[in-house]
Amino acid sequence: MNSQKTSWNRRHFLQGSLLGAGAAISSTGETAVAADPGAKEPEVVQSFDVLVVGGGTAGTVAAIQAGRLGAKTLIVERGSQLGGTMTTGGVAFPGLFDAWGKQVIAGIGWELVKESVEMDEGEFPNFAKVPQRHWHNQIYTNQFLYAILAEEKCAAAGVEIAYYEFPQAVERTEQGWQIDCVGFGTRRRVTCRQIIDCTGGAEVVGMLGFPRLREAERQPGSFLYMLGESHEPGRNQIHRLYVHGADSTNSRTATQANLAGRKSILEQVRQKKQRLMHLQPETGFRESYRIEGETVVTVEDYVSGRFFDDAISYAFYPVDLHTRDGVKPEPLKPGVVPTIPLRALIPKGSRDLMVAGRCLGSDRLANSGLRVQAACMGMGQAAGVAAALAAKQGKTPLEIPLADIRDLLREHGQIVPERA
Amino acid sequence: MKKRLITLFTASTFVILAVTGAIAFVGPFSLRVVGVHALAGFLFVALVALHVAASRRAMAGHLRSRVLWISLAVTALLTVLLWWQPGPVRTVLGWSGNLGPALDRFEIGERGMVYRYTPDPSYKMVLEIRTGRSYDPRNPPRLAIWLENQSHYHIKTLLEPETEDREAMLPYWAFKVRGWREALEEARKRNASLDELVDAVSSPTENSSFDPADYILPRKSASPMPYRLMVEINQPGDPSEKVEDQPSLVYQVEIDNFDPKTFQILERVGYPAKEENREGKTEWSVYYIDERFDSALDLIESALLTIERGEAEREGAR
Repeated sequence: MNSQKTSWNRRHFLQGSLLGAGAAISSTGETAVAADPGAKEPEVVQSFDVLVVGGGTAGTVAAIQAGRLGAKTLIVERGSQLGGTMTTGGVAFPGLFDAWGKQVIAGIGWELVKESVEMDEGEFPNFAKVPQRHWHNQIYTNQFLYAILAEEKCAAAGVEIAYYEFPQAVERTEQGWQIDCVGFGTRRRVTCRQIIDCTGGAEVVGMLGFPRLREAERQPGSFLYMLGESHEPGRNQIHRLYVHGADSTNSRTATQANLAGRKSILEQVRQKKQRLMHLQPETGFRESYRIEGETVVTVEDYVSGRFFDDAISYAFYPVDLHTRDGVKPEPLKPGVVPTIPLRALIPKGSRDLMVAGRCLGSDRLANSGLRVQAACMGMGQAAGVAAALAAKQGKTPLEIPLADIRDLLREHGQIVPERA
Repeated sequence: MKKRLITLFTASTFVILAVTGAIAFVGPFSLRVVGVHALAGFLFVALVALHVAASRRAMAGHLRSRVLWISLAVTALLTVLLWWQPGPVRTVLGWSGNLGPALDRFEIGERGMVYRYTPDPSYKMVLEIRTGRSYDPRNPPRLAIWLENQSHYHIKTLLEPETEDREAMLPYWAFKVRGWREALEEARKRNASLDELVDAVSSPTENSSFDPADYILPRKSASPMPYRLMVEINQPGDPSEKVEDQPSLVYQVEIDNFDPKTFQILERVGYPAKEENREGKTEWSVYYIDERFDSALDLIESALLTIERGEAEREGAR
């Protein structure tokens, strides 16, 4: 149960990454698994305390937190890197960590963002200054450093990472769960006590048959690219293209979104006759499924800054619903800082299962503010604490005393909501 | 000698009238300018009467002239035309920085300050500032009220102190006005409108017009044109436990004719502080209130904005 704090040494990082300087192509160290195309697919059978599904902004933080609390943790990610919307989506401005002149979200998410910015010699906004627009206090983060630092922190916390894999089947067992994951050339059977579903669309929750909510029309996704000028990571926003109907529900809908986005960008390149300088690998999705949680956060709860009795994290962002006509963010009233209840992270009627990230129990408008990365990081950390404690004590997260969760969150640098 | 004196005096008064009239037309509303213009007008009328009396023989001669009747007829026609305000005349009036003959009144009482602004019979704005414990009516604070567009550019000052220290006391308002004047000057040099100039350096902002009339008396109220009413207040020489003189405070409220609200409370935003931007240019930004403030926070207990929109405005008739 010790907090593992990693102090980053920039020189070590540079030395490590520049090994073999002078060579035209840099190379990594030796990989642990030898590739043998002729061999039978390996069958991996493992047991963990906590399984985190989805290595996005919430999942990464949840896994690091659970690992730092001594829980044996596996994070399964369908892509090739951690960070999700921040890294693969390229939305490297992760929302707001401050509200009304004070920091409201800290912890592991902030640690990752801060280190990424500092290592990149980037700039932080002056949080004492009243922003004229909410996005003035966005922190431009180097998405590439973020992905690598996330891996480093996972390793330091003892978290095992499984890329290119996704659960195929989930079964309830006496001790918790049995999950079969599949990746190319890999079939992995995992048993664990707790699952944290950080897939964005609550995919595991859906596989287990718990109710989920989805709108008839999803908010557009954003495909990020840079046309005509070079992309400077961590310095500014890059061009964005709305992908209407972008839906991350499954590989087919995600494929459609990516095809549509790239096709539009190609049209722009032809029309504007400018060089395409940067293109993210996939669409940044805003919306798919949300869980029907033990608590559902409504927009009234959100805009009034309702203090939930089981609040475990703050969120702060305008109500930000994107439509075909664009977006008109509805800023929160002065002094309002919404809170996120633990019960919104728990699918109704479930045990040993939590979500973190944009699929939390919320109505659509509340979700449009809660879905941003900073809030997802806060949720991830809370879910990591609750799941680790539950795994250790053989309980379900709702049976863990709230005070214990809050104390550990504070101990690990998170800001826990206090009643005003 | 007497007749020549009256003639010269009439001519010089006319110059004052013409200059102040032009300033009142292009510049933001100023009680001083309008006051000089109005009083000079009364003086001018009196001098014209004296001039007519002193020149009655010559005037009698004019009565027999056709030119007199033609010029009187042209003058009458012009007056009717200006009164009726057809399209071209309204376009010229639209260039005014004053929204035409706005009526406004500012009153200071024991319990607070009331600012009434009625640029049109169909639009009444009342800002009632209820003063707090720190307010001293014998030594009232400096106060400026202005409008800003969605892009945070100053578009019109409604009220400013007439004291010499106003720019030093209300630096945020002064900074905004300075920027607006500089932009106006730049636009004049480039022979462009302010909207065109700002669009050239940033991105086109559909709802960030620089014409106050687009917000207060919009031609079409069906599209969102939010704007802000800003207030900056400062009590000179008010020390706190931390500083010898507390800075000014900025309040604001957003107004949108698309989503009209009759009553709105102004929110305290923060205090202005000077900084240097990346180009090395000095600018003022608003910062969150910190521990240096105590009594200044009690200058204003509440500020309520009331806007009454009449039928004419709602129908889009301007």
